[in-house]
Amino acid sequence: MQPKRFDQARPFLTLGLLFLGWLAVPVAVKSFLRASFFEFQAPLALAASHVRDLQEYWSLRLHSNDELIQAGRDLGRLTASYEDNVQENAALHDEITRLEALLHLPSFADFRLEHARVVQRDFSGWWQQLVIRKGRNFGIPVGAPVIFAGGVVGRVKEVHAYTAVVELVSDPGVRLAAVIEGDDRPVSFQGGNNPTFGPAQGIIEFVPLNVYASSTIPKTLITSGLGGVFPPGLVIGQITSVEPGADGLFKTGEVRLDPRLSSLTEVTVLVPVNPE
Amino acid sequence: MATSDINLADRSGSLVESHRSFQPRVVFFHFVIVLLLLVLAGGLAYQQLFRNDVHQDRQRMQSWRRTLVPGPRGDLLDREGRVLAGNGQRLSVVLYLDELQGELRREYLQIRKNYRDSGDKGLPNAGEIEQIARVSVVQRYLDRVNAIINREEKINRQDFDSRHFTNSMLQLPYLLIDDLEPEEFARLIERLPVNSPLQVYTSSRREYPYGVSAAHVLGMVMPDPDIAAKDFQEQDLTTFKMKGTVGRDGLEKQFESTLEGEAGGSIFQVDRLGYKVKSSIKQQMPRQGKTITTSIDIDLQLAAEKKFAEMTDGKSGAVVAIQVNTGEVLALASLPNYNLNETSPRISTEKYAEIEAQGGWLDRTTHGLYPPGSTFKILVTIAGLRAGMIDPADDSINCTGVMQIGNRPFYCDRTAAGFAQHGHIALREAIARSCDYYFYTQGLKISPETIAAEARRFHLDQRTGIQLTETKGMIIPDPAWRERVRHEKWFPGDTANMSIGQGDVLVTPLEMACFAASVARGEVYTKPTLLHDPSAAPQHTESIGLTPAQRAVLLGGMEDCTIYGTADVLTKLKELRIPGLRIAGKTGTAQIGEKKTIAWFICFAPLENPEIAVAVAIEGDTPGETVGGGRYAAPVAQAVLKEWWDKKSRPAGPGVSVKAVK
Repeated sequence: MQPKRFDQARPFLTLGLLFLGWLAVPVAVKSFLRASFFEFQAPLALAASHVRDLQEYWSLRLHSNDELIQAGRDLGRLTASYEDNVQENAALHDEITRLEALLHLPSFADFRLEHARVVQRDFSGWWQQLVIRKGRNFGIPVGAPVIFAGGVVGRVKEVHAYTAVVELVSDPGVRLAAVIEGDDRPVSFQGGNNPTFGPAQGIIEFVPLNVYASSTIPKTLITSGLGGVFPPGLVIGQITSVEPGADGLFKTGEVRLDPRLSSLTEVTVLVPVNPE
Repeated sequence: MATSDINLADRSGSLVESHRSFQPRVVFFHFVIVLLLLVLAGGLAYQQLFRNDVHQDRQRMQSWRRTLVPGPRGDLLDREGRVLAGNGQRLSVVLYLDELQGELRREYLQIRKNYRDSGDKGLPNAGEIEQIARVSVVQRYLDRVNAIINREEKINRQDFDSRHFTNSMLQLPYLLIDDLEPEEFARLIERLPVNSPLQVYTSSRREYPYGVSAAHVLGMVMPDPDIAAKDFQEQDLTTFKMKGTVGRDGLEKQFESTLEGEAGGSIFQVDRLGYKVKSSIKQQMPRQGKTITTSIDIDLQLAAEKKFAEMTDGKSGAVVAIQVNTGEVLALASLPNYNLNETSPRISTEKYAEIEAQGGWLDRTTHGLYPPGSTFKILVTIAGLRAGMIDPADDSINCTGVMQIGNRPFYCDRTAAGFAQHGHIALREAIARSCDYYFYTQGLKISPETIAAEARRFHLDQRTGIQLTETKGMIIPDPAWRERVRHEKWFPGDTANMSIGQGDVLVTPLEMACFAASVARGEVYTKPTLLHDPSAAPQHTESIGLTPAQRAVLLGGMEDCTIYGTADVLTKLKELRIPGLRIAGKTGTAQIGEKKTIAWFICFAPLENPEIAVAVAIEGDTPGETVGGGRYAAPVAQAVLKEWWDKKSRPAGPGVSVKAVK
């Protein structure tokens, strides 16, 4: 009877020994194994991403010539419009440079733009993040701000050899120093507890008492530039409600984030040229 | 084999013999054991079923803690809704110590190991190592903050308050840096992890946008360690309280129960060392106190204080402006004053001593006791007219500049100042030119009892009833009072002195403003209030009892005072003229002993339909000064009237702005 009982306990004993062995493994080895896991996983995610691109390519190949001609015309118009905007932006940029020189303002902190394709989206009640197709190989640092056409996407949380994890602005662990457009008093923005497939929201705190906003007359929340991470003026979202806080000193409110955050395919990482 | 079996049977038989199946003694012990078990089960059932509440309560008391945070105070507004005392943000970065249990333990062990490695040289005791570990861990967190906001703050080991690490204080945030700049606040918001023990913390600090203005009216607050949350239950739990504030003087004190915020807080569970083990079990947010709209018009208040400072070059005194019909106080300035922002959240010992040395703590509007000087002649006039002792048209009194009463000469101030005597003079001109000789004569005729009775009818011997503390030292003397209080006789010279507001007569500037408002309304009493009520009905009290003709002479004399009399600067000096506004006023320059004078001016306007009454009292140090009322006090009152008149003349609506003086 006794040997049989030992046989039954053997898996538990083995598990216990493995667990004790894991505890005894040095921290450096554990970190290496964890990092390696991501690095081994990355090619799979990248391959899947490339396969999706290929899939998209072949689906586009199925369009008729007429559709392609029409799309080409639309693209031409769009390009012409963009060229016009580019010229306008160049003129504005020159004007800003002239005014900065005139007023002896310090030059704006420069960022290198690194466009990256989204490999994977990971949304849950606990976290909201993206994996992008660029990592250390493009010099992306941890903490770098990430933006898209609609404003702030989030900031880089982890960087691997070929990929990087971006914490979305809707993640409850993200907090930014923001300002309300037209105001210079800093407020605190933090991602909300967002459902996996629901509309993304955030909360603002430390809002001055004389600020009013509603869903019908929302106010735009933008980055303040004071925090030292995000440059100023990037749109975070729309403030849809504010109400007096119980302390009587500030208001708190809700921010509606851009719905496109959940379907992003391309983002831009702002890599500081001269990191602090 | 057979031998063996026999042996076993033998042994077996012996065993059976020695252990019988029924043992009465064992049964007895069975009963005993069962009984004991029943006692235990019964005890357990009793404890579980009947004493459950007691145990739960003990467990709750032992492992639950309650923190209380004060609610912000209500705002004090001026009559146009501008904030006079509000709550400013106080941004700080704090460390939540109850989240550092593991880190403190590791640091302790590391320090102990370091000493062991170095052979235990100079080994401190366990308590000292614990203290070193605390300082080290807190400094590490402070360094993180320093790195973010580019500061070089250090924990001072001498000042390090280790009481925060005791079980009773562990739940309260430990303040690392106070008064963060908005930029620093923003950097910390963005760079501190959301779940870090380091957090940006906000609290309220009493802020006074107008700094020194109306300091004595608004009053100071002081830290209050004993805050209470009325509706927050579990009051029997061990409670940690953040400091609140409580009114120390002024309106902050008088309306403490209204302004006081309601504390909030949370209840949570802790382990045996006092560290929080789970998030809040209950939570109640603090609530702000109620807002009070005062009757003060900050524009008038600023005008009064500014002009007072210009005219007096740092002298002491008071300015009071009152709405004639309602008694609402529009301005209540006592100088020197102090910057309320320097008293919040606490005042330094040096600052306190500095204000003390300047005499700034005394609210001269309600506690400054001064002889009213010649402004009292208005009251003597009313007493005389009502008693039928003064004939307004009679100009038989011939001011020769000096009157001998008993064995002492009493001078007319004008003569004393080197001007020609007034000659034959009637009431209206006597008021306008403030002829002492005239009022010596009339006072002696009227009698001190009649004058004192009239003053008491105007409540000059009583507190006004304003919502501030007031002195009760005002004196309206008469022979009976002199006998009762000083056990001395009353002489005719005392009557002469009383007739010109000198001698023992003592009043406050607020009383004189109320007196001016009462005269303006033709009634005997004005109760001042510091609360603004747009729908307040006009006050009505007993009529003074003058005939229209008598009243016309009185008011005529007061207007003449500002035209050709002792306050003629108000019309003769172009910069002091207020076109379109007729002012009825009376100057006074009282002597206090040999060295001190009080320059007075009381007035009301517009003469035809009075709306505002003003009283100004300025302490002077020029012996023999006789025209201070017109020279110094009248221009201060003029500044208040001008501001009031300008505001009244401006079209209604927004656009009235005041630049805050920090």
